[in-house]
Amino acid sequence: MEVRIDFHQTWQNAFLQRLERDGPWSNWEIYQLALEAEQHTFVSDFDNLQSLKFLPELKPLPHQLEAVKQVIENMNGKAILADEVGLGKTIEAGLILKEYMIRGLVKKVLILVPASLISQWVLELNKKFYIPAVPYKKSWGWKDQDIIVSSLDTAKRSPHAEMILEQNYDFIIIDEAHKLKNAQTKNYQFVQRLKKKFCLLLTATPIQNKVEEIFHLVSLLKPGHLGSSSNFLKKYKGSHRKEIDDGLKDLIRKVMVRQSRRETNIQWTKRHVETVIINFTPKEREFYEMIIKFPKKEAIFDNAFSLLTLKREACSSKEAVFFTLKNMLKKQNPPSPALVDFTNQLIKKMEGITVNSKAEKALDLIRKIDDKVIIFTEYRATQLYLQWFFQKHGIRSVPFRGGFKRGKKDWMKELFQTSAQVFISTEAGGEGINLQFCNHMINFDLPWNPMKLEQRIGRIHRLGQQKDVFIYNFAVKNTVEEQILKLLYEKINLFERVIGELDEILTKLNVGTLHEHLTDIFATSESEGEMKIKMDNFTSVIELAQSLKGDELDAATGNSSIS
Amino acid sequence: MQQQEIRQFLKRFFDATQCKTVQDDGNAFTVQLTVDMDKALMNRPFYWHYIEKTRGTPNPQKITFLTDFSNSNESKGEKIHFGSPRLHQIFQLTKKLGGFIRMFEDRPGTVQNHTPLIPWLCMNIKVSYICDRKKDEFHSIGLNLINGKMLDNFHYLLKDTSMPLSMKMPDFAFTFTPLIKPVSGIKRIEQYIRSQLQQEDHTWAMEAKKRWERDEKLLNIFFEEWEEKPEQYEIEKEALREQYEPKISVDCINGGIFYLTKDRFR
Repeated sequence: MEVRIDFHQTWQNAFLQRLERDGPWSNWEIYQLALEAEQHTFVSDFDNLQSLKFLPELKPLPHQLEAVKQVIENMNGKAILADEVGLGKTIEAGLILKEYMIRGLVKKVLILVPASLISQWVLELNKKFYIPAVPYKKSWGWKDQDIIVSSLDTAKRSPHAEMILEQNYDFIIIDEAHKLKNAQTKNYQFVQRLKKKFCLLLTATPIQNKVEEIFHLVSLLKPGHLGSSSNFLKKYKGSHRKEIDDGLKDLIRKVMVRQSRRETNIQWTKRHVETVIINFTPKEREFYEMIIKFPKKEAIFDNAFSLLTLKREACSSKEAVFFTLKNMLKKQNPPSPALVDFTNQLIKKMEGITVNSKAEKALDLIRKIDDKVIIFTEYRATQLYLQWFFQKHGIRSVPFRGGFKRGKKDWMKELFQTSAQVFISTEAGGEGINLQFCNHMINFDLPWNPMKLEQRIGRIHRLGQQKDVFIYNFAVKNTVEEQILKLLYEKINLFERVIGELDEILTKLNVGTLHEHLTDIFATSESEGEMKIKMDNFTSVIELAQSLKGDELDAATGNSSIS
Repeated sequence: MQQQEIRQFLKRFFDATQCKTVQDDGNAFTVQLTVDMDKALMNRPFYWHYIEKTRGTPNPQKITFLTDFSNSNESKGEKIHFGSPRLHQIFQLTKKLGGFIRMFEDRPGTVQNHTPLIPWLCMNIKVSYICDRKKDEFHSIGLNLINGKMLDNFHYLLKDTSMPLSMKMPDFAFTFTPLIKPVSGIKRIEQYIRSQLQQEDHTWAMEAKKRWERDEKLLNIFFEEWEEKPEQYEIEKEALREQYEPKISVDCINGGIFYLTKDRFR
């Protein structure tokens, strides 16, 4: 086989010039050192990681090294890194990038991450990997820097998108790549148009529901690996992920590294989960009852979901309820008399409420903990209230939201680390920030989507956490919250196990995913009664699954009498 | 590269560039940079511009390198290890300074008997085998510019034979004018490397090509239903070429002319 040989002439030309001018010549020692310097950076072998000797202070874990080797040796530098939350996907990505850079195969790099993670990525690449990455800045544009970290939101917008598409990237990393599951989105179409010589897609949740999601993700990376879109969709459209057959699994395994916490044999610090049941004051109770008792047939809400939302908000703060009502009124133009009436009644009741029992409890707890605490709430109104409330009691807190600009996020994190005791975050803030210097978390209200919860806990319970982690779940007695808590966190034991594990069980039993069940229970139930029945059903499935183990479980799959 | 090797390398580098070691306790050492080295390493053009404009007294900096930081976390100097940007900056600088050489075997003759010196052209060459992976190999070729004799491993031959080398022509010696012009010498060495490379086993390239073809086949399947292929197709195809296409890249690291006595490497 004929291989192209490029003989570069740089040295030759310069040498002939020097001969003509009789110098300047270097001395023997420097000449020898120059050769040695070059040889030290030689790559002696096609295989084997070179990067480690460049990073003596980095101590990657065995599962991280395994992932890096897989991606480079078996996947040729194009892969979905789909380890579970907190296993160090960033470290893996950094090592892979470093390896290609050392081998001189990669120079120009684009790294797209959530806005809140930009600074963190830059810092890690600089400090841990000596990779001179910079955050995108207007002043240097896209051309002048070789390694830029930016957000997908910035990159896909004009005029950035056009300029980015003109660059010739050697390596692309996309963090939180589950945002690219839908081929119809602008995000997807933008990423599709990027030239991807080497590419890493990072996500902890490569498939949430539909099999198509993985098709789209893989097709970004390696179009055709799962066949053409029409053939694939013919076969799998609308399928749930439990229907992935072995053939497809094998194909996916060729482009995806997915390791679970369980497989890694790392000694994680412990998770202590404590449920904190709160009693409403009589006034709060009246307020809550009023929402519950509101007759359904009045149909002032779009669906059962709104009513459920209000109930859950009422467990969080009256401010959250107020905020939602105000929005509902605004949306209906003109608002129906029934809604106006209902709102007025609620507001009247609200005025009578002088304490927020949950907030009081949180205050007690924070004082007792006497250390840094993260509070998660789903509602912005609650967040604002809590900030005000804590301030009134002499406790410094910082707010955190997904919508903050990058600089502000960094600043808030910094403030929390250096001078505030409490960090109050809304859901959207949960995704992109690592706070392993803190080991106490209060879930002020509970999401029913366990992925969200895992994301929350993942902020503090991750590699690098030195201490045991304490999670406090707040729930108000005799409310929808207590029901959610009972199901998710007591019966399914969700806090102890990891979601992937639970899903594995469900998959083996062929009964849909956790997410599907929960959506069904909490979002589509028409009444409390229905919710309760569905929950009981689901719980018994889980209990059955728990009583069967290992091989028995596989055997049970054979006769699929459970549904 | 071990810490001890790095230390040795730096010490030799600063000796060779006339920067004095002003302190050394085994774990860390401090060098006083010369003006040239300060300019080359410390990245402070404004300072030097100012000094030159005002004819001020130049005050080059000192650097302290911490080479053993296993049991000390003192911040008394720059931690230096194989990954540190400073080391690679010094590597770069060394390569820039050590690219071209002309040396004489230091064997002075006598008034009656002048030493004749034969010119050898030496090229130290890096061959990189590149596809989606990469490896490098080193070749050092010496070419006798009088009789055309070619030697592999030339650099090590020079080092092994304990022959004194000097930048100046020794007393009572004279050099032969090359019969083979340096420019043709370079061509001969290139030709030699080329023919060697062509005879090599190219399994690595064939495997890369297989990987390439496999991915390209998939790409074609993905776009099989398009009558007219979209732009996307071309972009992906080009990306695959860049990722996998096997090629060999050859660069000369450094080299030069060595005037050696007749009997050397006979």
